[in-house]
Amino acid sequence: MKSLVNALNSNRFVLLLVLLLFLLIVPLIMKASWVSLVNEMLIMALAGCALNLMLGYTGMVSFGPAGLYAVGAYTTAILLTRYRFPFAIAMISAPILAGIIGGLVGWFCVRRSAVYFALLTLAFAQIIWTILFEWYGFTGGDNGIVSIPIPEFFFTISHCYYLTLIIVGISLLLLWTIVQSPFGKTLQAIRENPGRTEFIAIHLKRYQLAAFVLSSAFLGIAGSLFCVFSGSVFPDYAHWVKSTDMLVICLLGGFYNFGGPIVGSVVYILLSKMISKQTMFWMFFLGVIIVFLVLFMRNGIVGFLSEKLAPVLDKTSGSGPDEGTR
Amino acid sequence: MNLVTFEAIAGQTLSGISVGMVLFLIAAGLSIIFGTLKVLNLAHGSIYMLGGFLCYGFTSTFASVPGVFWWTLLAAPMIVGLVGGLIEIFLLRRIYAQEMLYQYILTFGLILIIGETCKFIWGVGYHTVGAPWPFNGKVSLWGLSFPVYNLFLIGCGFAVFIGLVALMRYTGLGRIIRAVTYHREMANALGINVPKVYTGVFMLGCWLGGLAGTLMPPMSVVALGSDMAVIIECFIIVVIGGLGSLPGAFIGAIILGLLTAFGIYIIPKLAVAFAFMLMIVILIIRPWGLMGKPE
Amino acid sequence: MKKPILFSTLAVIFLMMLLGFSFLAQSAEKPIVIGFIHSMSGAMSMYGISSEAGGQIAVEEINAAGGILGRPLKMITRDDKLNAETGLREAKDLILSENADFLTGTISSAVALAISNYVKREKKIFLVNISQSSSLTEENWHRYIFRIDTNAVPYWGYAPALALAKKWKDKKIVSLGFDYETGKNSLRAFKEKYLELVPDAKIIDELWAPLGTTDFTAYISKIANSGADAFFLSCIYGGGELAFSKQAYAFGLYDKMHAIQPCAGDIETWFSVKKGDPYPKGALATCRYPFWAIKDPRSKQFVEKHNKKVGFLPSYGAMNQYLIMYALKAAIEKVGAVDTEKIINALEGMVLDTFVGKIPIRPYDHQAMMPNWYGVMDFTPEFSFPYITKIDVIGEEGYHTVEQIKKLREGK
Repeated sequence: MKSLVNALNSNRFVLLLVLLLFLLIVPLIMKASWVSLVNEMLIMALAGCALNLMLGYTGMVSFGPAGLYAVGAYTTAILLTRYRFPFAIAMISAPILAGIIGGLVGWFCVRRSAVYFALLTLAFAQIIWTILFEWYGFTGGDNGIVSIPIPEFFFTISHCYYLTLIIVGISLLLLWTIVQSPFGKTLQAIRENPGRTEFIAIHLKRYQLAAFVLSSAFLGIAGSLFCVFSGSVFPDYAHWVKSTDMLVICLLGGFYNFGGPIVGSVVYILLSKMISKQTMFWMFFLGVIIVFLVLFMRNGIVGFLSEKLAPVLDKTSGSGPDEGTR
Repeated sequence: MNLVTFEAIAGQTLSGISVGMVLFLIAAGLSIIFGTLKVLNLAHGSIYMLGGFLCYGFTSTFASVPGVFWWTLLAAPMIVGLVGGLIEIFLLRRIYAQEMLYQYILTFGLILIIGETCKFIWGVGYHTVGAPWPFNGKVSLWGLSFPVYNLFLIGCGFAVFIGLVALMRYTGLGRIIRAVTYHREMANALGINVPKVYTGVFMLGCWLGGLAGTLMPPMSVVALGSDMAVIIECFIIVVIGGLGSLPGAFIGAIILGLLTAFGIYIIPKLAVAFAFMLMIVILIIRPWGLMGKPE
Repeated sequence: MKKPILFSTLAVIFLMMLLGFSFLAQSAEKPIVIGFIHSMSGAMSMYGISSEAGGQIAVEEINAAGGILGRPLKMITRDDKLNAETGLREAKDLILSENADFLTGTISSAVALAISNYVKREKKIFLVNISQSSSLTEENWHRYIFRIDTNAVPYWGYAPALALAKKWKDKKIVSLGFDYETGKNSLRAFKEKYLELVPDAKIIDELWAPLGTTDFTAYISKIANSGADAFFLSCIYGGGELAFSKQAYAFGLYDKMHAIQPCAGDIETWFSVKKGDPYPKGALATCRYPFWAIKDPRSKQFVEKHNKKVGFLPSYGAMNQYLIMYALKAAIEKVGAVDTEKIINALEGMVLDTFVGKIPIRPYDHQAMMPNWYGVMDFTPEFSFPYITKIDVIGEEGYHTVEQIKKLREGK
């Protein structure tokens, strides 16, 4: 609560407000294809931030976030298509089911740490992919599910955009509250020094599992939003390459930072779109950028900029007591 | 249907071993790299694919040279090993101290770079390389025709395995590598040039990947996309066998090969999932794999 | 971390986007814009590049002759990266940003389904040039989708069945397919037709390999031991097919039993195979564009132009894309304007005058009745690579009938 009050008082809040206003008027000032693009960026930003709860804040490297993202997407898709559930219920079920599956998967994964944890998440995500791909009767198999009966209202890109904006906004607010809370501080402590944290009577595995479940739930929301956005779902939503995209987004923006994945999402989607228009070999340039990123900009864009501009901005604005990270 | 005849079982077993050996040849390099450098090299599949393209490139350009395949078998893996060396020196070295996540993403970037380079040089079509003399015939085993080249590959698999184990156990170089694997700081303190050993091991791993890539085209196809297709299987083998354990990788590969060969009798649909489930079970109960060492 | 940095960064980026957008040249109103989405990178890019070439040849010819209704034709190519999300994003961009009047292309059925779903909402026409999944024009059909290409039912199913019934009438068959939906459907179609024609035949075993397999050793030894008269490949194409053929040849499988290998007729897979190399010897294969057997001089010209453009011989995708352009030209000229609804009516039932014959577009499913050719794989001095000889053709009888499609649509 105190952090909220502090936030309200500072310059940051003004900037946040400006950004929010900008996002609100996007459909009015931009062409439909750009609105669609910003919509995608918002969804990816949420997915990135969800992953970052585990990655940046708790120090748990997951190679399989796309699995839970796909669970969210398919939950909404199947409930709408097969069982004709009302739209709101289909959407709210996504994070619930993703959270449950995340709990099941996570329970196994947190038994191990570091490399083994990562490989477990990868294996589980691939199992999810395999189930989605093979179970034609239920999930549509490799054809996926198309023509999902989302309400006609959301066919218009600007309506869909506002839905995304509202849901992403609320989700990010929730995530922000989580990381600022004592729970969030504990997660960061776990990241910094798991041994010592355990020493002060924190049940490590329980917190890690909690982070896993929350992360999965928000990934589920992102997946569900994408299902509505595109009107179709495919098994590749769970593929390890998609997971790697999410990891790159976090890295690109900077994962020691709440807003890092947001920046990462915007830049990554923008870059892929621009480069792929130019050349047949766009993947080469993407690879070069990724390598460059890992070698020279390990804290991502936000980290890089804050290092370079820190001396300048230290004078102009104070940093609040709630900035606990890097 | 000849489900339980001796010929059928024998035939499938031989096929399973053949499939497994192929997988071992590809995964061996990954196993060594992870064992010593502790790097999860996602680009290992791309290294393998590069070897395949080089094999095609040389055999088609110098098609008139007698025994061109064997010359290629000599040259291509070495080139791939050199490429590995460059990658290690200029790229990987900088991030050893960092978390595994960076290595994962860096090597993912390499997948894109190497893949597109292959596309740029050799185009988008499928390529094939003929089986080289004297291994281009068939032999009759238990009433079933089996290609001689597959037997040659099985032989290569064994040879590589024995060669590597011998290297690690009985040579000075092997001792140095093992020393660096078990205790990097101590080895450093004893005057071993650890960075050089790291480079050497990475090059060896890439050489093995390139070797597998060069050996494969006569029985398969050289095509873009083979890097992605192969890397997950490699990971499964290396995990099941034990990250860093070469005998483990060998056994893991054979298991996977036999699983495939006999799995198609049972429920082919879930054969793919079986491999992942086995991987999960191992990671949970015995993460150091069947033959690895607990940390 | 300094919060202002974060938000300033975001603000700057959004500002840049805004500027970028405002400086973007608006696409000119004058040309008729046809969006082309295909796999231009990755494993299937040969078909993307070939199809694009076929389309560009048509565009150049049409523009050289004055365009359509005095307007030039413009084809914009986008890469779907064999991925439905990307394909969908490009489709949206083409329609919303580039004002595309029509969308064409795709090789992946998943991409095609996603785009088909999208154009239904946007009310724009999507013409498929390669994607084979029959559901596009059967269960998932709607007004705005057309296909000028054969589909999985004749190509993988009915045509090989008709061909086999005519040629060898094998009684015991074992099948091997890639384990995905089109693979399953193809086998189903083959069985349906073949067992109707040769009632005492049996599929004694059905093997399925994961999509993307290149090591078929285990499957081949099972087939060899099965005691069948023939084996049938369901939807194994491209690199996988080349690998399979090499391995099967090395195992002597082609000498042991008859082979029905539908996709083998498409030569793109065999470009690098020379006489003496392993190939599907004597296999019964279907083909979608056997230009060596097509007498029409327009076809020969097309082959030359394609070869000059991209350095290799045309695939059926190139031919289909070429025909799509001309079909649109004919429809637009008939209607006198770029009016989607009227053009749909014009295309339904239109008979295309192509260099492979006169081909009607069936109104019920918007499927062009493209012929399927079949023959036996062999080498001759004409080409360095193997291809089908002793060619015969199957026309409309290869497709599902309207009644069959009606049942499928109702069952859905």
